Amino acid sequence: MSTVTWITARGLFGRRRFLLLLPLPALLLALAILSRSLGVDPGQWGPAVLVGLGLAVVLPVVSLIIGTGVLGAEIDDGTVVHILTKPLPRWQIVLPKLAVATGVSAATVAVPLYVAGVLAHSVRLGLALAAASALGALAYSALFLALSLLTRRPVLLGLVYVLIWEGLLGRFVDGTKVLSVQQWVIALADRMAPTDLLGTTVSVPVAGVLTALLAAGCTVLAVDRLRSFSVAGETS
Amino acid sequence: MPEPTGVIHDIGYQRYTGPRLGRRHVFGALYLHGLRTAFGLGRSAKAKIFPWLVMGIVLVVAAGLTAVRTQLGEVVMTYAQFADTMSWLVIFFVAVVAPELVSRDLLSGVLPLYFSRPLPRGDYALAKLGALATALWLLLGAPQLLMFLGAAFTTDDGMRGVWNELGDLLPGLLYAALWAVVFASIGLLIASLTGKRAFAAGGIVAVFLMTAPIVGILSIMPSRTVNELAMLGSPTALVHAVGQYTLGDLLVPGGQGEDQIGGFGPVYLAVAVLLVAGCVALLLMRYRKVAAR
Repeated sequence: MSTVTWITARGLFGRRRFLLLLPLPALLLALAILSRSLGVDPGQWGPAVLVGLGLAVVLPVVSLIIGTGVLGAEIDDGTVVHILTKPLPRWQIVLPKLAVATGVSAATVAVPLYVAGVLAHSVRLGLALAAASALGALAYSALFLALSLLTRRPVLLGLVYVLIWEGLLGRFVDGTKVLSVQQWVIALADRMAPTDLLGTTVSVPVAGVLTALLAAGCTVLAVDRLRSFSVAGETS
Repeated sequence: MPEPTGVIHDIGYQRYTGPRLGRRHVFGALYLHGLRTAFGLGRSAKAKIFPWLVMGIVLVVAAGLTAVRTQLGEVVMTYAQFADTMSWLVIFFVAVVAPELVSRDLLSGVLPLYFSRPLPRGDYALAKLGALATALWLLLGAPQLLMFLGAAFTTDDGMRGVWNELGDLLPGLLYAALWAVVFASIGLLIASLTGKRAFAAGGIVAVFLMTAPIVGILSIMPSRTVNELAMLGSPTALVHAVGQYTLGDLLVPGGQGEDQIGGFGPVYLAVAVLLVAGCVALLLMRYRKVAAR
């Protein structure tokens, strides 16, 4: 475990505000348990909790806050200079940070999704959701990590993607679903455990290839951007 | 012990002898500054990108709706429905503007400078809240005005048509004001908790988005009362329910609103008022604490 990994993890967990992330998965669990215990038909509450809350809100928002936080927080307060001046290849900075971001986001999202999936249908659906959401966390984290190197306002740009591209356009313009991480995760989970709770128009090979491409591409882009990174104060 | 012999020389600094503007002017200046900040006026181009992106999208949508109405004569949505359709953009706008208004001041530690003026603690918070609410109202009101102009100039009934159209527009603007007040008070409260704009924006979006599925779950529970009270679960749905109760047909054509909220209209109205009052009270408490530091 490299020092960068350790510093990043401590930067995330060392603050009280990490606790603010917990209400999201807790709410997911609470709604699933409540619906199950009252005996509501899973066909009705399943899509609302698993997709509407889990994959459309909890996964992107948690990944966004953590993914832009692992490097963006250091850029914001200027301490990124300390890491940049060490004789480390840039990929040894980006990859550990990406690993921490993915690991923490995946753990925060996959565990409640697994439980909700088990309650809604079967253990198989739970495992499929957990695995697919971990892949989704990887893709989102790589995207948001690259964003935090490309722009000074990564959270807002990430929100534009999550809210306007995936949320608003995904509902009205069907074609944009091909380029939506959320739909890829749904497609992958549906492939691993075919149920009628999940449904998407994106085909599985497309989803798999695009997930891998996005994760790899954004990581390479982040390494490249960090190579020619200029530390500048905020101007506006 | 010898007497001190030092002298304070008058080296000619001028004193201010003009009129001193009071609390009202401080409040007004802060409000105006907040409103300009919301749209990035008087700041760099970077600060204008996100507010005007949202403003641009809603105006383009409104222009599209107007074009459909003038060319084909079809009313795609009423003025009041426009606000509901744009809810995700409103959330995004709050996430952009609210941290800009309060989190920057917290981070850079300039609050003691503000409070060294004749400015009560509450006034600072209320001026910012007013600025955010006004900005939100403009965001929802401007497109409605555009739609109104399009409809008014193509009406076939002369002045009576314009008058009817105005009768539809005014409730729409009031409904937009309800949206603005509810979202501004919740958003500003969350943003005032942290100095980091990134975290404030994430928190605002998380709160508004995570509450939406609660409504979906509650509305399929096996109890009719719970179903009818389900829209208490999220701010978006709460505003919609109050709109259904007060506006009726203007918001939900065909009188389907009765099925969703039953006879609980007054409850929704009371909860909305309590929610806003509670958020404002918490905001004022928060600034009493921040100022004491």
